[in-house]
Amino acid sequence: MNIREKVLIVEDEKGISQFIAAALSSRGYEAIQAHTGAEALTIISSHCPDLVILDLGLPDMDGLSILEQLRAWSSLPVVVVSARSHEKDKVTALDLGADDYLTKPFGTDELLARVRAAIRHTRTASGNSEIAREGTYTVGELTIDYNKHQALIRGENAKLTLNEFRIVALLGKYAGKVLTYDFIIRELWGPQASSNNQILRVNMANIRRKIEKNPAEPEYFFTEVGVGYRLAEGN
Amino acid sequence: MPEERKTFGQRIREYFPISRRDSLLTVGILVLATAVCTPLRLAGTTPGFAFPVFVLATLLISRLTDGYFHGIVAAILGVICVNFAFTYPFLAFDFTIDGYPLTFLTLLTVSIFTSALTTKMKKWESLRAEAEKERMRSNLLRSISHDIRTPLTSIIGSASAILDNPDLPKEQQREMLENVREEGQWLIRVVENLLSITRMGGETELVKDEEVAEEILGFAARAFRKRFPGIAITVRAPEELLMVPMDPILIGQVLNNLLENAVIHGRTTTAVRLSVTREGENARFSVADNGQGIPKDVLPRLFDGTLKHNETTKGDGKRNMGLGLSVCRAIVRAHGGHLNARNLEQGAEFCFTLPLTKEESA
Repeated sequence: MNIREKVLIVEDEKGISQFIAAALSSRGYEAIQAHTGAEALTIISSHCPDLVILDLGLPDMDGLSILEQLRAWSSLPVVVVSARSHEKDKVTALDLGADDYLTKPFGTDELLARVRAAIRHTRTASGNSEIAREGTYTVGELTIDYNKHQALIRGENAKLTLNEFRIVALLGKYAGKVLTYDFIIRELWGPQASSNNQILRVNMANIRRKIEKNPAEPEYFFTEVGVGYRLAEGN
Repeated sequence: MPEERKTFGQRIREYFPISRRDSLLTVGILVLATAVCTPLRLAGTTPGFAFPVFVLATLLISRLTDGYFHGIVAAILGVICVNFAFTYPFLAFDFTIDGYPLTFLTLLTVSIFTSALTTKMKKWESLRAEAEKERMRSNLLRSISHDIRTPLTSIIGSASAILDNPDLPKEQQREMLENVREEGQWLIRVVENLLSITRMGGETELVKDEEVAEEILGFAARAFRKRFPGIAITVRAPEELLMVPMDPILIGQVLNNLLENAVIHGRTTTAVRLSVTREGENARFSVADNGQGIPKDVLPRLFDGTLKHNETTKGDGKRNMGLGLSVCRAIVRAHGGHLNARNLEQGAEFCFTLPLTKEESA
């Protein structure tokens, strides 16, 4: 028998908490509910859930501070849920270590997709960093070849420049996850690099022109407006 | 009392504001007046020409500057100038000339009256603008209340019907629940438009960044596919890289609204085309559909938010196009662009322009 994955839902609104729990149970997850931040921290250390769905607006403490405390000792995947729709909040949560972000209102399908991706991602995370040094990553007709430092699209070399390949490689390492502009810039050009993301934007436009059929309708390199980029997840 | 003194100080500042721009303007106009008079004097024209020139200068200064301060200063400087440079004895003061007090009084009166008129006019203008804003806001509120009340009634009604009648056939229950979901989604869109307004609202300037036009199109297209999987959408962006200064979330909202309208108000729409092109110093975004087009009588009033519910769609009055479009227009305007609508041979096209800055190369 399969061991069911445990998902902790931290949310003070009973209606929302219940609907998330119902959606998760119907897909075979075990859902645990916490209604306050303090309760959440206790359950996390006693029950060891596989994933936390964290609402940022809790009655007793700020969701972001729970995230910070959690990240001090655990890399447990966290999907942040919030009614704050300003993209700055998303960037803050992602930079504090959230794995993904859902803005209220969201549908069940969207929720389940994010949960699935976040759990799968931790499963393969160690494997992924191995891949990042050697091996390949494939999604659809795109293959990133880390040995030869090239990207293949429909079997042909996309002829990326070094900078373009480094961006693609980084997105491939975290495929399925949004990487903020600042994160990409820091990873590729170091912490001293200016936070002006213009160069990154231009590079991404060139990458899309070499890889996507229609750069305005990308199949692989998605833009999360005001937040960052996300590479489509492979099978 | 200290409080009264404070308001007195405030009043002084209100009536006698000093700004760099106004001071420069004052000096500039006075220098110009002197420049006009000097050759006349050197040419030996009969004295007396200087006075009207300085009256004109004082008038202009009082009209073009805020408050009374600069006008009065101009009047005083004008008198001194006329006395010193342009009346006999030249380049010397002589306050004993006949009619001198009259000259001074005339200039001062011109200055004070003009300043008073200008100040009143400006106050009146700002009041009118305020009233205009207020009217728009209450129009908006009224329209939103309408937009919200109908779906809420339907949601509450459906929920109560299902709770109160457990024996309702499954099929009927399902239909009602789907209706609840549909109405909820409609409400979300109303709220998103409201958020856009608050994001723009107030005196704060828009935060504009250089954004890649195709990324915004791709983003809007992805949201559209999710919402209307049955409608075909084609997206076109130029081969050259178009960087457009904008608030990407707000422009995304404009595209979302236009795309959604294309389906809901096009009624027979089966395909939409989303594109961006370069047009001189502007980026031109376009949303075109193959639906029924815009009724001729509605077209001229499309953007002013005065459309009544039943005017945009016959029968189904709830889907009001007014709010979404007036939000679109406000956003585009705040970016310094224009929003237009026209009918195509089949369907309608909404397009808006956004000014480009000079191109960035890698």
